[in-house]
Amino acid sequence: MKKRIKWIAGKLLRMGLLLFGVSVLSFLLASASPVDPLQTNIGQAALGAMSPEQITRLESYWQVGTPALERYLRWGADLLRGDWGTSLLYRRPVLAVVGERLANSAGMLACAWIFSGVLGLLLGMLAGLYREKTAGKLIHRCSLVLSALPTFWLGLVLLVVFAVWLRVLPIGLSVPAGMEASIVTGGDRLRHAILPGLTLSLSGAASITLHTREKMTEIMASDYFWFAKARGESTMLCIWRHGLRNLLLPAMTLQFACISEIIGGSLLAEQVFSYPGLGQAAVTAGLGGDFPLLLGVTMACSVLVFLGNFAADLLYGVVDPRIRKGGSAA
Amino acid sequence: MRRILALALALSLSLAACAAPAPQTRSANSGDQVTAAISIESEPEAGFDPVYGWGAGEHVHEPLIQSTLTVTMPDLTIANDLATDFSVSEDALTWRVSIRDDAYFTDEKQLTAKDVAFTYQTVKQESSVNDFTMLREVRVVDDVTLEFVLEHPYSAWPYVMSTIGIVPAHAYDAATYGQAPIGSGRYLLKQWDKGQQAIFEANPNYYGVAPKIRRLTVLFMAEEAAFLAAQAGQVDVAYTAAAYAAQAPSDYSLLVCKTVDNRGFNLPAVAPGAVTAQGVPIGNFVTADPAVRRAMNLGIDRQALIDDVLDGYGTPAYSVCDGLPWQSPQAVVFYDPQQAQQLLDEAGWVRSQDGIRVKDGVRAEFSLVYPAGDSVRQTLAAAVAAQLGTLGIAASPEGVGWDSAYDRALSQPLAWGWGAHTPMELYQLHHTQSESGLALYTPYASEAVDRYMDEALASRDLEQAYTLWQKAQWDGQGGIVQDVPWLWLVNIDHLFWVRDGLTVAEQKIQPHGHGWSILNQIDQWSWKS
Repeated sequence: MKKRIKWIAGKLLRMGLLLFGVSVLSFLLASASPVDPLQTNIGQAALGAMSPEQITRLESYWQVGTPALERYLRWGADLLRGDWGTSLLYRRPVLAVVGERLANSAGMLACAWIFSGVLGLLLGMLAGLYREKTAGKLIHRCSLVLSALPTFWLGLVLLVVFAVWLRVLPIGLSVPAGMEASIVTGGDRLRHAILPGLTLSLSGAASITLHTREKMTEIMASDYFWFAKARGESTMLCIWRHGLRNLLLPAMTLQFACISEIIGGSLLAEQVFSYPGLGQAAVTAGLGGDFPLLLGVTMACSVLVFLGNFAADLLYGVVDPRIRKGGSAA
Repeated sequence: MRRILALALALSLSLAACAAPAPQTRSANSGDQVTAAISIESEPEAGFDPVYGWGAGEHVHEPLIQSTLTVTMPDLTIANDLATDFSVSEDALTWRVSIRDDAYFTDEKQLTAKDVAFTYQTVKQESSVNDFTMLREVRVVDDVTLEFVLEHPYSAWPYVMSTIGIVPAHAYDAATYGQAPIGSGRYLLKQWDKGQQAIFEANPNYYGVAPKIRRLTVLFMAEEAAFLAAQAGQVDVAYTAAAYAAQAPSDYSLLVCKTVDNRGFNLPAVAPGAVTAQGVPIGNFVTADPAVRRAMNLGIDRQALIDDVLDGYGTPAYSVCDGLPWQSPQAVVFYDPQQAQQLLDEAGWVRSQDGIRVKDGVRAEFSLVYPAGDSVRQTLAAAVAAQLGTLGIAASPEGVGWDSAYDRALSQPLAWGWGAHTPMELYQLHHTQSESGLALYTPYASEAVDRYMDEALASRDLEQAYTLWQKAQWDGQGGIVQDVPWLWLVNIDHLFWVRDGLTVAEQKIQPHGHGWSILNQIDQWSWKS
């Protein structure tokens, strides 16, 4: 038990260090960015009609000319006190903007993530099982193509097929256009989440499929698998008894590692589907030189990714007793 | 990138079309409703608050939710809205404005001079996009009269009054107003789903003519998504780009809006030698020669640029304010490569063996700097460089970041984009600054031009001011038109898909920025029944 607490404490410490590292790195990157917040947010043409006094005032609002170190220290000190700062673009607290965006896309992202895992695992097993058959080859090739396709491109194709050609699904947004919030139903939201969710899960599932297929092939060629078959167990029973646990390990690692990919991919998919998620806020903040918001989004994503990996670490123990922490000594 | 995407989209769409005829589903929108898709960047991040840029700033458009003191007409002259009358004092420093007494906010409180004063005081202190340093104070005379006292004469004041929506003094809280605006305009904000759409409804208490379109839904979409939304028949109006223009969705037609959204190069008009206080070199030997600048103005085939770079969707630009009331008609030049060559010959620029002209041992060469990442300006720079080559001028395009672009522009031509609904732009681009003695963005100075523009600002009559702005450009002997401190190339058309049967109201010449402007007169749009 003590070991376990120590292990968790160690993990949390690592998370703290990771967040610190991420914040320093993103701050450095953002400071090195050539984006001039006045140019992008006020516009060169509007600046042209402004007096130098006004420009000086705006420069101080956008903190142009404040040394990066000073800005970072100020931001860090505020954060330690629990203040995430105020978004320069949205003029609202960063936490409120991030929370709102996360709430918008969290459901869609979670569905996409779970679906990609389940789909990837199933397809991977099938592809491994029917390696030499047409079905297996087809799955393999499709996965290769899918994993090579850029997410936004896949999104566009799905839009063309389902929204333009078949006209069965909406063109984008998370709610029906022009509909008042009070009469938007869960069904409406679901309908609007299908295409972005599908896009993300298809591109996420591809790599899981490919890895699971490899592992499946390996297992099917293993001595213990052959031995089980020789004893007269059916293929399905063999997979259930001897294959699944071994398959789950790499699949899980990938599944949790791909949280970052889903978040990253959502950035592009949201643009295509006009979906108001965290990715859209990150793009706006990054291009608009909105430091507090950009850092807020980055930190929120880092926490999510870290928690994903942490959950994977915990689950390894559940799936495979050999890795169980603290238990191995007993 | 955009072209490839457009092409690929077209391909997949035509495949889809071959596979099965698209079912003709018409969206529910008709009668008195409009759904419009505009760019994601058009969504006002800080909300629908005039103080933080709604309706004002770089992309000036009518704020719809709020009303303004004056409005600009389709020909960009000034008319009254909330104001019933305005006049300026003898010394041109005090503007006295009377306002109507029948305007009510959507919370049913009357709009009075106090609200107007409050709005202008707030924008003066807080505005993130507008410059109010010329405003000294606002005095409330009575409920329907107020006075703006200025620091210096400013004849463009009526244009300022056309951009700022009036907010209620009794219900304004900077933290929340943008999310739930209260105004006295034609529409009220029914709902705002951040990052996706804003829904407007006609204001039942509006003092003017009741809007024909009772409900407006504005979707914020990426260019491809907006195009697909039109393809799918889910929007009535969608912004688009030239790359898509050839692929009209069925039941839609292309609306081409003329603009003053211009692109052009500044031409440093002084010889090198000096440096700024920060040590940035000023001046360029080649462009310092007025003959070179004039030859470039004559020798650029603007129509070719429009055809090659903009797929034909643009108009030739001859000034920063094409088609606006303060533009001089003399600014227009006709493409004349022979005369351009002759000008260069006469000025002593002789062709060397490699075809590049040389004068006093200096070769006619410079960089055409453009902001990296702006594909239109990059292509323009390349096309202009190719055209200048035939004149014997070696210009090499060079992409830079905005952090160094301003500095570089002091010694090399830089590709700019301007176009505002105020004559102040003409002023800021050409008037000298007191410290440097040169204009702000490009080294250029002309006493006569300065004098005309100062007179224009001090003028008490808009018509007279227009004439003076025009004289700064050409007074019969000289001016900006003759000096060519800026080489204007093209005005970029703004393109939209409009569903057949929807009549879009007459458009003002649209300013820089492709967004809300199309909806300025949304209240006057109509559907054919």
